[in-house]
Amino acid sequence: MTLWTILLAAEAAGESGGLFDFDATLPLMAVQFLLLMVVLNALFYKPLGRAIDERIDYVRGKLADERERRDKATAIATQYEQALIDVRREAQATIAQAQADAQQTITTEVQQAQQTVQQQRETAAREIEEQKAQAYQALEGDVEALSRQILEKLLGPELVK
Amino acid sequence: MDILTGFTATQVFPLAELEVGKHFYWQIGNFNLHGQVFLTSWFVILVLVIASLLATRNLQQVPGGMQNFMEYALEFIRNLAKDQIGEKEYRPWVPFVGTLFLFIFVANWSGALIPWKVLRIPASELAAPTNDINTTVALALLTSLAYFYAGFRKRGLGYLAKYIEPTPILLPINILEDFTKPLSLSFRLFGNILADELVVAVLVLLVPLFVPLPVMALGLFTSAIQALIFATLAAAYIGEALEGHGEEEHE
Repeated sequence: MTLWTILLAAEAAGESGGLFDFDATLPLMAVQFLLLMVVLNALFYKPLGRAIDERIDYVRGKLADERERRDKATAIATQYEQALIDVRREAQATIAQAQADAQQTITTEVQQAQQTVQQQRETAAREIEEQKAQAYQALEGDVEALSRQILEKLLGPELVK
Repeated sequence: MDILTGFTATQVFPLAELEVGKHFYWQIGNFNLHGQVFLTSWFVILVLVIASLLATRNLQQVPGGMQNFMEYALEFIRNLAKDQIGEKEYRPWVPFVGTLFLFIFVANWSGALIPWKVLRIPASELAAPTNDINTTVALALLTSLAYFYAGFRKRGLGYLAKYIEPTPILLPINILEDFTKPLSLSFRLFGNILADELVVAVLVLLVPLFVPLPVMALGLFTSAIQALIFATLAAAYIGEALEGHGEEEHE
């Protein structure tokens, strides 16, 4: 191995060639590199970079659109829900109203009917009472007449005043 | 030299030959180029460009296959830059940091995974471009330029004020930092990749079968980590230059 290093050193020290042999390769290589940079810029960095940026913009735009749409959908959904709740409440109110009305009607009608019945019963009772009284009167008259006749028959008409 | 040739002559496996510091020179005018570095770096660039083309050929809203994979890579790079530079400023720096990461990563892994040495070239051998000091220094210097540019663009000449913050006594150290940053960046990458390839080569030289496998796996890990470290540090330096000390906003 040491032989090799010695040889390398010997060669590097030679008049032409060697490891550190600077010549026109250096500037030409630099120019070549710059040319490569320009070519790659036109062929690679610019078009692909644009493609990447466009894709990023596209995805961002899509994402924003979708977010907006989602927000809108959520808003509409809440609005619907609100409307649904309102309508349900209204319906319940209507039902309660109707029930209350019906209850009211039933109560009044029942009361009326009871009153009517009461009146009729009272009237009937009074009539019965009247007729009873009449009948008693008539009976009393009859009883008077009959008892007078019985007396006349028993005692004779002259005794009877 | 005799020892080296003697050593390589006894080699049964041509794959196990070890060549360091030899280069496959191309001459353009008066300048020398390291051909093997350029060949593999072109391969790396080709891989990256083809992968990008495949990924962006048919862009979909819902990614699949290659597009998905490359988007994952891009998101990784973006996160890396965002973590180091900050949410507000990171975007213009993604290409620089990302290209640093991708280039170094693919280069390192190509060196670790592809048996370049099977392809013979006249001199030297094909290997990861990042095991040549020229490549790493080039990348490190570009990083230095990048953070200076970032600092001056954000704060104008006020950027220079950071050299005397928190006290003017630290001026030499602050200046020194501008030299140590590229130095450490380049040598860390260069040293790690070269050392990894050398260790694998030496082990293959000694025991050609199975024994080098754990080291190769470790090499894959090191390669990925080095790419990540280089890109993260570059982003951190840029972020530091952008952040400043005087007008720090506490959020």
